[in-house]
Amino acid sequence: MRSSLRVLRAEREWSQGDLAEQLGVSRQTINAIETGKYEPSLTLAFKIARLFGRTIEEIFDPGVEA
Amino acid sequence: MSSMLYIQLRRKNEVKDRLINRGWFVISVAVVWILTYFVSRGVLETADLSSTARIVVALIPAIPFAAFLWLWITNIGQLDEMERKIQMEALAFAFPMAILLLMVLGLLQLAIPLSPEDWSYRHVWSFLPLFYFAGLALAWRKYK
Repeated sequence: MRSSLRVLRAEREWSQGDLAEQLGVSRQTINAIETGKYEPSLTLAFKIARLFGRTIEEIFDPGVEA
Repeated sequence: MSSMLYIQLRRKNEVKDRLINRGWFVISVAVVWILTYFVSRGVLETADLSSTARIVVALIPAIPFAAFLWLWITNIGQLDEMERKIQMEALAFAFPMAILLLMVLGLLQLAIPLSPEDWSYRHVWSFLPLFYFAGLALAWRKYK
Protein backbone atom coordinates (compact mmCIF):
# COMPACT_ATOMS: atom_id res chain seq x y z
CA MET A 1 0.00 0.00 0.00
CA ARG A 2 1.35 3.42 -1.00
CA SER A 3 1.27 6.29 1.45
CA SER A 4 2.25 9.94 1.57
CA LEU A 5 3.47 9.53 5.14
CA ARG A 6 7.11 10.24 4.30
CA VAL A 7 6.18 13.47 2.50
CA LEU A 8 3.89 14.64 5.31
CA ARG A 9 6.55 13.85 7.88
CA ALA A 10 9.24 15.65 5.88
CA GLU A 11 7.01 18.73 5.55
CA ARG A 12 6.98 18.97 9.34
CA GLU A 13 10.69 18.16 9.55
CA TRP A 14 10.03 15.21 11.84
CA SER A 15 12.33 12.23 11.97
CA GLN A 16 10.87 8.73 11.90
CA GLY A 17 11.66 8.56 15.62
CA ASP A 18 9.72 11.79 16.31
CA LEU A 19 6.66 10.48 14.48
CA ALA A 20 6.98 7.07 16.15
CA GLU A 21 7.01 8.71 19.58
CA GLN A 22 3.90 10.73 18.83
CA LEU A 23 2.05 7.66 17.59
CA GLY A 24 3.31 5.35 20.33
CA VAL A 25 4.90 2.86 17.92
CA SER A 26 8.48 1.90 17.08
CA ARG A 27 10.63 3.68 14.49
CA GLN A 28 10.81 0.40 12.56
CA THR A 29 7.02 0.40 12.25
CA ILE A 30 7.05 3.91 10.76
CA ASN A 31 9.78 2.87 8.34
CA ALA A 32 7.84 -0.25 7.30
CA ILE A 33 4.68 1.82 6.70
CA GLU A 34 6.59 4.41 4.66
CA THR A 35 8.23 1.78 2.49
CA GLY A 36 4.90 0.00 1.98
CA LYS A 37 6.05 -3.19 3.72
CA TYR A 38 3.52 -2.98 6.50
CA GLU A 39 -0.12 -1.96 6.30
CA PRO A 40 -1.22 -0.24 9.51
CA SER A 41 -4.37 -1.26 11.34
CA LEU A 42 -7.41 0.99 11.05
CA THR A 43 -6.73 2.29 14.57
CA LEU A 44 -3.18 3.33 13.69
CA ALA A 45 -4.29 4.73 10.33
CA PHE A 46 -6.85 6.94 12.13
CA LYS A 47 -4.17 8.09 14.60
CA ILE A 48 -1.87 9.01 11.71
CA ALA A 49 -4.67 10.81 9.86
CA ARG A 50 -5.66 12.80 12.96
CA LEU A 51 -2.06 13.74 13.69
CA PHE A 52 -1.63 15.21 10.20
CA GLY A 53 -5.16 16.64 10.03
CA ARG A 54 -6.01 14.62 6.93
CA THR A 55 -8.37 11.78 6.06
CA ILE A 56 -7.10 8.22 5.79
CA GLU A 57 -7.76 8.26 2.04
CA GLU A 58 -5.58 11.33 1.62
CA ILE A 59 -2.63 9.57 3.24
CA PHE A 60 -3.03 5.94 2.19
CA ASP A 61 -3.68 4.59 -1.27
CA PRO A 62 -4.41 0.86 -1.49
CA GLY A 63 -3.65 1.04 -5.22
CA VAL A 64 -6.66 -1.10 -6.15
CA GLU A 65 -10.24 0.14 -6.31
CA ALA A 66 -12.66 -2.02 -4.29
CA MET B 1 0.89 24.23 24.20
CA SER B 2 4.61 23.55 23.76
CA SER B 3 4.96 22.61 27.43
CA MET B 4 2.11 20.11 26.99
CA LEU B 5 3.87 18.61 23.97
CA TYR B 6 7.11 18.48 26.01
CA ILE B 7 5.35 16.67 28.88
CA GLN B 8 3.72 14.27 26.41
CA LEU B 9 7.06 13.49 24.71
CA ARG B 10 8.79 13.10 28.09
CA ARG B 11 6.09 10.65 29.23
CA LYS B 12 6.52 8.65 26.01
CA ASN B 13 10.30 8.61 26.52
CA GLU B 14 9.80 7.37 30.07
CA VAL B 15 7.54 4.58 28.76
CA LYS B 16 10.17 3.70 26.13
CA ASP B 17 12.93 3.62 28.78
CA ARG B 18 10.77 1.36 30.97
CA LEU B 19 10.25 -0.98 28.00
CA ILE B 20 13.99 -1.15 27.30
CA ASN B 21 14.71 -1.85 30.97
CA ARG B 22 11.94 -4.46 30.99
CA GLY B 23 13.45 -6.06 27.87
CA TRP B 24 16.77 -6.42 29.64
CA PHE B 25 15.00 -7.84 32.67
CA VAL B 26 13.31 -10.48 30.48
CA ILE B 27 16.70 -11.39 28.97
CA SER B 28 18.26 -11.57 32.45
CA VAL B 29 15.56 -13.95 33.68
CA ALA B 30 16.03 -16.04 30.50
CA VAL B 31 19.76 -16.26 31.30
CA VAL B 32 18.95 -17.36 34.87
CA TRP B 33 16.59 -20.02 33.48
CA ILE B 34 19.24 -21.35 31.04
CA LEU B 35 21.93 -21.35 33.76
CA THR B 36 19.57 -23.18 36.15
CA TYR B 37 18.89 -25.72 33.42
CA PHE B 38 22.59 -26.45 32.89
CA VAL B 39 23.25 -26.61 36.64
CA SER B 40 20.35 -29.06 37.07
CA ARG B 41 21.56 -31.10 34.13
CA GLY B 42 25.11 -31.16 35.49
CA VAL B 43 23.89 -32.24 38.93
CA LEU B 44 21.67 -34.98 37.44
CA GLU B 45 24.51 -36.27 35.26
CA THR B 46 27.17 -36.33 37.97
CA ALA B 47 25.71 -36.37 41.49
CA ASP B 48 24.52 -39.47 43.29
CA LEU B 49 21.10 -38.46 44.63
CA SER B 50 17.93 -40.21 45.72
CA SER B 51 15.05 -40.48 43.22
CA THR B 52 13.06 -37.78 45.03
CA ALA B 53 16.00 -35.39 45.05
CA ARG B 54 16.60 -36.08 41.35
CA ILE B 55 12.99 -35.20 40.53
CA VAL B 56 13.24 -31.99 42.57
CA VAL B 57 16.47 -31.02 40.79
CA ALA B 58 14.87 -31.82 37.41
CA LEU B 59 11.92 -29.54 38.20
CA ILE B 60 13.93 -26.57 39.50
CA PRO B 61 14.45 -24.94 36.04
CA ALA B 62 10.66 -24.77 35.66
CA ILE B 63 10.59 -22.02 38.33
CA PRO B 64 12.74 -19.43 36.50
CA PHE B 65 11.05 -20.53 33.26
CA ALA B 66 7.62 -19.69 34.73
CA ALA B 67 8.96 -16.22 35.67
CA PHE B 68 10.43 -15.83 32.19
CA LEU B 69 7.15 -16.88 30.56
CA TRP B 70 5.12 -14.39 32.59
CA LEU B 71 7.53 -11.55 31.78
CA TRP B 72 7.67 -12.59 28.12
CA ILE B 73 3.88 -12.55 27.73
CA THR B 74 3.45 -9.23 29.53
CA ASN B 75 6.29 -7.79 27.44
CA ILE B 76 4.57 -8.85 24.20
CA GLY B 77 1.50 -6.96 25.41
CA GLN B 78 3.62 -3.78 25.41
CA LEU B 79 4.76 -4.16 21.80
CA ASP B 80 3.24 -2.18 18.96
CA GLU B 81 1.05 -3.79 16.31
CA MET B 82 3.81 -4.55 13.79
CA GLU B 83 6.08 -6.03 16.46
CA ARG B 84 3.21 -8.26 17.62
CA LYS B 85 2.64 -9.36 14.02
CA ILE B 86 6.34 -10.23 13.77
CA GLN B 87 6.09 -12.30 16.98
CA MET B 88 3.04 -14.09 15.59
CA GLU B 89 4.80 -14.86 12.30
CA ALA B 90 7.86 -16.12 14.19
CA LEU B 91 5.66 -18.52 16.17
CA ALA B 92 3.71 -19.44 13.03
CA PHE B 93 7.04 -20.63 11.63
CA ALA B 94 8.42 -22.19 14.81
CA PHE B 95 5.36 -24.23 15.80
CA PRO B 96 5.00 -26.25 12.55
CA MET B 97 8.79 -26.70 12.52
CA ALA B 98 8.56 -28.18 16.03
CA ILE B 99 5.82 -30.54 14.80
CA LEU B 100 7.97 -31.51 11.83
CA LEU B 101 11.02 -32.18 14.02
CA LEU B 102 9.10 -34.35 16.49
CA MET B 103 7.28 -36.21 13.72
CA VAL B 104 10.48 -36.96 11.80
CA LEU B 105 12.35 -38.00 14.95
CA GLY B 106 9.45 -40.27 15.92
CA LEU B 107 9.48 -41.97 12.53
CA LEU B 108 13.27 -42.18 12.46
CA GLN B 109 13.14 -43.82 15.87
CA LEU B 110 11.01 -46.54 14.30
CA ALA B 111 13.30 -46.79 11.27
CA ILE B 112 16.71 -46.83 12.93
CA PRO B 113 17.99 -46.89 16.52
CA LEU B 114 18.55 -43.27 17.53
CA SER B 115 21.16 -42.71 20.20
CA PRO B 116 19.60 -41.20 23.34
CA GLU B 117 22.95 -39.47 23.86
CA ASP B 118 22.18 -37.34 20.79
CA TRP B 119 18.39 -37.33 20.37
CA SER B 120 16.78 -37.45 23.79
CA TYR B 121 14.31 -34.79 25.05
CA ARG B 122 17.17 -32.93 26.70
CA HIS B 123 18.76 -32.41 23.28
CA VAL B 124 15.68 -31.93 21.14
CA TRP B 125 14.04 -29.08 23.13
CA SER B 126 16.93 -26.75 22.30
CA PHE B 127 15.88 -26.85 18.63
CA LEU B 128 12.57 -25.16 19.47
CA PRO B 129 14.04 -21.77 20.52
CA LEU B 130 16.24 -21.98 17.41
CA PHE B 131 13.13 -22.36 15.24
CA TYR B 132 11.61 -19.34 16.99
CA PHE B 133 14.71 -17.21 16.40
CA ALA B 134 14.83 -18.33 12.76
CA GLY B 135 11.16 -17.37 12.39
CA LEU B 136 11.87 -14.05 14.08
CA ALA B 137 14.75 -13.32 11.70
CA LEU B 138 12.60 -14.17 8.67
CA ALA B 139 9.73 -12.01 9.88
CA TRP B 140 12.00 -9.05 10.71
CA ARG B 141 13.57 -9.29 7.26
CA LYS B 142 10.13 -9.05 5.69
CA TYR B 143 9.32 -5.72 7.35
CA LYS B 144 12.81 -4.22 7.43
